[in-house]
Amino acid sequence: MPIWMEVFVLMLLAYAIGMGIGWAIWGRAS
Amino acid sequence: MPELLQEYWYLILAALVIGVVVAWWVFHASRRTRVELEDKAADEGGAKRNQALIDSPPVAATREPVPEPTLADAKVAATPDTASVPVAETAPEPAAAPATATEAATAPAASPDDDLRRIKGVGPKLVTMLAEQGITSFAQIAAWDDGEIDRIDAQLGRFQGRIRRDDWVAQARLLAADDITGYEDRFGKV
Repeated sequence: MPIWMEVFVLMLLAYAIGMGIGWAIWGRAS
Repeated sequence: MPELLQEYWYLILAALVIGVVVAWWVFHASRRTRVELEDKAADEGGAKRNQALIDSPPVAATREPVPEPTLADAKVAATPDTASVPVAETAPEPAAAPATATEAATAPAASPDDDLRRIKGVGPKLVTMLAEQGITSFAQIAAWDDGEIDRIDAQLGRFQGRIRRDDWVAQARLLAADDITGYEDRFGKV
């Protein structure tokens, strides 16, 4: 796997984690 | 993998921040916009309802069945007290109980339930909300001061600001006095 793809996958993961945090803070209430 | 994290941590962090920002927008900011849209729709609905009311004759028959604190209720509330209290102590109690009972009863009794929908800007939903606050007559609304308006306004949810915008107090004052001419001069056809 080329290195840029690894970085891309890691960024995607981080994005998903960020979305998860946001959902936990603002999305769960209603 | 750890080397990658060490080397590109700023990119990962940026992705995380973007994720949080997008989530904030999706779950929080856009939701606020939707509420405003609903509010507008409600306003239009209210305006239509009121126009229909303006065009129709006053509806006396559709008064809300409002639970008003009557003398009977007050007595029911008061009797267990007097019954359970020893005989020697009952002397001051009955004197106090009827006094509070009449106080509670006179406010609504002096001005029986009015059709609050005659106030422009008040629809069926607001009548129900006001009834929940114990407000059923024009005289009660006419007597509101600024503090009272703020207190009631805070309970009106999406209708907040209507009291002052539509000047309910002035409308109620005229309607309570049955001054239809004065009312129509200022607010238009009843």
